[in-house]
Amino acid sequence: MVEKQSRWANLYLIIIFIVLYLPIFYLIFYSFNAGEYMQNFSGFSLKHYGELFADNRMLQIVLNTFVVALLSSLLATIIGTFGALGIYGVKNPLMKNVLLSLNNILLVSPDVIIGASFLIFFTLLGLGLGFGSVLMSHIAFSIPIVVLMVLPKLNEMSTTLVDAAQDLGANSWQVLTRVILPYLAPGIYAGFFMAFTYSLDDFAVTFFVTGNGFSTLAVEIYSRARQGVSLEINALSALMFIISLLLVTGYFFINQYNLKRKKQYKKGRNG
Amino acid sequence: MKRLLYAAIAVLIVAGLLALGANHFEKEQSAATGKAGSSTKVLNIYNWGAYIDPNLIAKFEKQTGYKVNYDTFDSNEAMLTKIQQGGTSYDITVPSEYTVQKMKQLGLLHKLDLNKIPTLKYYDKNFLNLAFDPHNQYSVPYFWGTLGITYNDKYVKPEQIQTWNDLWKPEFRDSIMLTDDARDVFGFALISLNKSVNTTNNGDLMAAKGKLDALAPNIKAIAADEIKMYMAQDQAPLAVGYSGDASEMIAENSHLHYVIPKDGTNLWFDNLVIPKNAKHLKAAYAFINFINEPKNAAQNAEYIGYSTPNAAAKKLLPKAITAQTNFYPTDEMMKKFQVYTNLSQAKTEEYNDLYLEFKMVHR
Repeated sequence: MVEKQSRWANLYLIIIFIVLYLPIFYLIFYSFNAGEYMQNFSGFSLKHYGELFADNRMLQIVLNTFVVALLSSLLATIIGTFGALGIYGVKNPLMKNVLLSLNNILLVSPDVIIGASFLIFFTLLGLGLGFGSVLMSHIAFSIPIVVLMVLPKLNEMSTTLVDAAQDLGANSWQVLTRVILPYLAPGIYAGFFMAFTYSLDDFAVTFFVTGNGFSTLAVEIYSRARQGVSLEINALSALMFIISLLLVTGYFFINQYNLKRKKQYKKGRNG
Repeated sequence: MKRLLYAAIAVLIVAGLLALGANHFEKEQSAATGKAGSSTKVLNIYNWGAYIDPNLIAKFEKQTGYKVNYDTFDSNEAMLTKIQQGGTSYDITVPSEYTVQKMKQLGLLHKLDLNKIPTLKYYDKNFLNLAFDPHNQYSVPYFWGTLGITYNDKYVKPEQIQTWNDLWKPEFRDSIMLTDDARDVFGFALISLNKSVNTTNNGDLMAAKGKLDALAPNIKAIAADEIKMYMAQDQAPLAVGYSGDASEMIAENSHLHYVIPKDGTNLWFDNLVIPKNAKHLKAAYAFINFINEPKNAAQNAEYIGYSTPNAAAKKLLPKAITAQTNFYPTDEMMKKFQVYTNLSQAKTEEYNDLYLEFKMVHR
């Protein structure tokens, strides 16, 4: 009985993964098409990859997109972590709730509205649109995400840890850097990666604040759609998929290595 | 803490390297022009995605020494919003005819000094001084085209489809694909009734709506860009759409043909304009003149596949292209063509509401 159940469970799992991954593989498959459309596979060819690497504008935009994503998520992680610490430290429960709700409202409000308000804000301030405006708006919409990822970790932390550290004579800087931050690390990493992916594929907000020769991948692909998206985009997507696959595998092996080291360390102490 | 710090430093280093890479590719783009990016002569262009031959930009930079910043948009409305907000200053942008009118009314356009555009002499007179911009005070045409019918000769004989009214023939049951646009769909219905495509007469509109409802059984789908794909794959016998899209479909499938119905059609234009807040007027004029040099205009038209309003450039294009009267119609045919003008807000809503009603009947 148990075995039968797990068989159904496996089948379910497989179907779900097929649904999730099939479109991506379909897209990658056609990046090798010798024809011009996502139809009628007319032969294997790498010409769309050639087109991609000859398209300096596209490559520049891809790199710009990553720079914005990395910097904005890094800064948002720093600001958001301290924001979470701040909210955690508020004693008045009503105040705390208000702060949390304000954070969540930003998270659920539609991107279009956030984007439009940034556009109006930046033009009111007289700031030119470009790298700076995109970076700032990405930081702004990433902060609530980081707060939301870090806060549960904080709530989960036992207050006795802090008390113990203080008892042993740690000042507040030491408590923060030696106790609280290391404990929060998994939440901080998660927040960083969430913010990173949000920034990478954001279209609506970015569309409003790009300008003066600066553009990101999502905006560029969307503007090319009038003439039909070429298979060059497929080639690019295939490469990005492979890069993320490599990153995930790399992360897995580093994790594995760390776990092993920890185990050996423990064994050594016990033995 | 140390680890978090290291991670942050690693992120910064990677971001720095990527920024260097991006910088390199930017230089590479201007390296094609033989000039370093240090030049302060700049031109900011805001154009539809993939709507110019990139080699021409490189050539322009090399010839004039201007550095081109090229941004793209995907709809007239999006472009208008960006220009209206300020924040960016573009020197050249490319609105369609009804948006030219709207931008003019909003005071967003720089009044052109036609003495600075000597290349205007290359234009076909038919495409100058049009209703949406009398005397070309604010705009010069970039590309133009028509609304028409694409058919597949596997299913449809050429003599079967000559006028808009032929679409209503019972033998075309469930076989027409329509471009999803209120003005275009109402446009051809109005033409089939011998009315103006810019009518504000409620009776005319209701008549067109009634006529469209009668077309419902013949309609296979109302769609956008995906029509190109379906037609290229023999999935539908007929499609109503723009000449530019048609030329792309025909390149994919030789069974497809494009016809301009005999009873006339709508003529569309994408136009070069200079926004009011442009900072590099000299560069903008230089670019307009450059792109209208017959040789360059011909190269661009061949790359994009749309029809050029430049008579001198048309002469340079291969005969095989310009001899096609469905893409370069004769003067005789042109007499029956109409151009959209901008409608008032209330009328636009009326068009849209009726169109929505029509779509609901169809479903």
